[in-house]
Amino acid sequence: MSCNPVSREGTKHQIGEKKASFSLYLFPARSCNAKNRARGKEEEERVRIGSCVSTRGGAGRDASKRLPSQHLSGSLTSSGYVAGDPSDQQSDVVGKKGLFKSKPRTPVDLVRQTRDLLLYSHRSISSLPDSSKPDEKMVELSRNIREMKFILYGNSEAEPVAEACAQLTQEFFREDTLRLLITCLPNLTLETRKDATQVVANLQRQQVNYKLIASDYLEANLDLMDVLIQGFENIDMALHYGSMFRECIRHQIVAKYVLESEHVKKFFDYIQLANFDIAADAAATFKELLTRHKSTVAEFLTKNEDWFFADYNSKLLESVNYVTRRQAIKLLGDILLDRSNSAVMTKYVSSMDYLMILMNLLRESSKSIQIEAFHVFKLFVANQNKPAEIVNILVTNRSKLLRLLADLKPDKDDERFEADKSQVLREISSLEMQDLA
Amino acid sequence: MARNKLEFPLDAEAYEIICKIGVGVSASVYKAVCLPMNSTVVAIKAIDLDQSRADFDSLRRETKTMSLLSHPNILNAYCSFTVDRCLWVVMPFMSCGSLHSIVSSSFPEGLPENCISVFLKETLNAISYLHDQGHLHRDIKAGNILVDSDGSVKLADFGVSASIYEPVTTSSGTTSSSLRLTDIAGTPYWMAPEVVHSHTGYGFKADIWSFGITALELAHGRPPLSHLPPLKSLLMKITKRFHFSDYEISTSACGKKSNKKFSKAFREMVGLCLEQDPTKRPSAEKLLKHPFFRNCKGVDFVVKNVLQCLSNTEQMFIESHILIKGVDDEEDDEEIVKNRRISGWNFREDDLQLSPVFPTAESDTSEFSPRGGDRIQDKPEGDNVVPTGSEVGLGLSNRNEDAKEQEGEVMGFDRDLVLEKLKLLKKSLEHQRARVLVIIEALSGEKEERNREEELLEMVEKLKIELEAEKMKTLRAEKESVLG
Repeated sequence: MSCNPVSREGTKHQIGEKKASFSLYLFPARSCNAKNRARGKEEEERVRIGSCVSTRGGAGRDASKRLPSQHLSGSLTSSGYVAGDPSDQQSDVVGKKGLFKSKPRTPVDLVRQTRDLLLYSHRSISSLPDSSKPDEKMVELSRNIREMKFILYGNSEAEPVAEACAQLTQEFFREDTLRLLITCLPNLTLETRKDATQVVANLQRQQVNYKLIASDYLEANLDLMDVLIQGFENIDMALHYGSMFRECIRHQIVAKYVLESEHVKKFFDYIQLANFDIAADAAATFKELLTRHKSTVAEFLTKNEDWFFADYNSKLLESVNYVTRRQAIKLLGDILLDRSNSAVMTKYVSSMDYLMILMNLLRESSKSIQIEAFHVFKLFVANQNKPAEIVNILVTNRSKLLRLLADLKPDKDDERFEADKSQVLREISSLEMQDLA
Repeated sequence: MARNKLEFPLDAEAYEIICKIGVGVSASVYKAVCLPMNSTVVAIKAIDLDQSRADFDSLRRETKTMSLLSHPNILNAYCSFTVDRCLWVVMPFMSCGSLHSIVSSSFPEGLPENCISVFLKETLNAISYLHDQGHLHRDIKAGNILVDSDGSVKLADFGVSASIYEPVTTSSGTTSSSLRLTDIAGTPYWMAPEVVHSHTGYGFKADIWSFGITALELAHGRPPLSHLPPLKSLLMKITKRFHFSDYEISTSACGKKSNKKFSKAFREMVGLCLEQDPTKRPSAEKLLKHPFFRNCKGVDFVVKNVLQCLSNTEQMFIESHILIKGVDDEEDDEEIVKNRRISGWNFREDDLQLSPVFPTAESDTSEFSPRGGDRIQDKPEGDNVVPTGSEVGLGLSNRNEDAKEQEGEVMGFDRDLVLEKLKLLKKSLEHQRARVLVIIEALSGEKEERNREEELLEMVEKLKIELEAEKMKTLRAEKESVLG
């Protein structure tokens, strides 16, 4: 979908021209980040150790966690990398797996085997792309991922066991399994992709010793977000990568990374993609990004308000696409009405350009858009220090505004709305023309 | 599956609508052809977005579910895209329509058992797959089971389906995954008792109950208790006054006598599904192994015995609407009801002092509000989504009434008509509520009075409704004459 020509180009300023002066909002973010950063370092250390382990093979793994009798197949798998041709060892794994099928695997084993199989999938796809026959190892991989899902979510017979979840999560993030899973996702079947997406979603919420270790992992691997966001441009992967992306920005540090990157600009296009599934998914993520972590969002908006709102208005609020306009005006209301964004809001409602856009939305034929537009419009009217130009526009259009607002009613009775409305009506009625400075 | 998505164009121009084949509360369904694809016949569900709630979360979930599910017995979407204010969901066209329409048009007394087993088995395959995926359908009924002329059976309508792996957004980050749902969803006659009334939530077994009710619906032509108003049927369900598992024995509870004999296997299968205690109901997978499905015939059998004697979907839809009597002048009305709109704002700064008068012509405002002007010309296009020239029988089929009763929300193109119908329905619901109260009173007191009183009340209500309908007709005629 194309957008309307940018008619408010004039309001676009250099990014970062205004340095944030809202220490109040910055403060909590900073303290939080400091903590994260400290944790991040720790994690980096661990990840480095982890990745070095994985290249050397299973020998360096923490053996104390394993009970020898239970993990026969698991330990064979991982030691398989110590020497010899990896693909030989891989087939060995499957053979052994068959033999020990009935043996209960621990979550740790499960993750390790899955990781090995993912490595296999990664290699085999890049080397022999034309294997048409069903690959046993890929079948095994699918089974493993489903099993991980059952451990994390439980199944119809059993509730998840906290201890097992913790073990699985710890092992999963001890090494670069998430990266492998993400890069191999296109090689998997549809059903397995869905399972994998659910596993990744769940892992973001798992706490180990009261810590979200997924957050630490992602902080050290923020480039994964660059991979995930590309999913929006790939019709087959969009919904899977999109869900994972949204789960990952639950972590403040990740949301901050995305907001500070160029990625955030891409969302203006993604939410207008023709394919509704993908566009709606992108819109949900965009909303999450701009509402979930208050301090981060406030910091982002303060730093970037000029280009952000210019784009927001021209690309979204003035889009030709009804759905885009409708979602954008709702989200704008959510953002501006959030207490933590009050500084940005104050600036927003002092802009005549923005007021004009809002007034145009007010007279849309869609009632849903009108109602949402009202919730933003009322802020312009309620502003105690209205610039003269805004007062004059309101006065000039007074009778039309009064008429329009009088007719505007939500489908359900809404006392708040009525109260807001009568206040707005009063305020508009009492305004008088002012001299432009 | 993913390939399909690539093939079908995301552009309304690429489709040519043939006719309307269904009207729901929130959407209309059209038969159409996809021109660039050798005029492949498709069904397009057009959902009016302006009527739907604040955000599109539930729609997003529905279309996502539909594009990520992949099973021969599940109706999934080829693609979905927006056309002005509508969401178009392009789906395979199922030429025989729903089992509900097949039964009500050609088998009002119910289908023969050997055909039921075929349809049910196919449906159960779909349910088994859904449950394996962690999805609850939550609205299983004959009206949502679609059949194609080649005998393929697909479960449709994921509007109220839910995934146990995707907690609804309100959940506050806790990792509780009890895999249970608590919100009430579905259609009253088919709803499991624990869905209506439960302290601990419900799970997959709620679908199994609905499946059992659907089995009875196919066998008798209508679901049990459907002679009662929906609310009363719910009351009966949760007070356990009616034992569904004994339903076969007392078919008179259906409101009519049936001389049909069903096999022991069928009755047992239904009985299992309709266990009051959800834990005693079998899973879909287990149910597939039930003896009732063991000697099940292939789909060819139903093609020969059921489908060949049907009229096609379009005809069925039109026929059902002739019966209900369509309202023809609906489209003209819409224009009148539209609210006055502001033609444009005066943003001209230099004008402010001189002429605080509002420009009325579009030319004045076009500079600042390009859409303002366009919009007016655009509008007919938006309304065009209702295909011109196609039949305008806009009454409501039985199936839609069910849906309406569960959802208070008004959706659809025929907003005014639906609104009117809903008002009527609300009235009738209120009336039914009053009647239930009367019955409760009567049951606790004297029994003789009841029937007489009920009859009188019914008469009064009927007359009222007729009067309402007449009034509306007159009103419409008046409006038209004003227009003309």
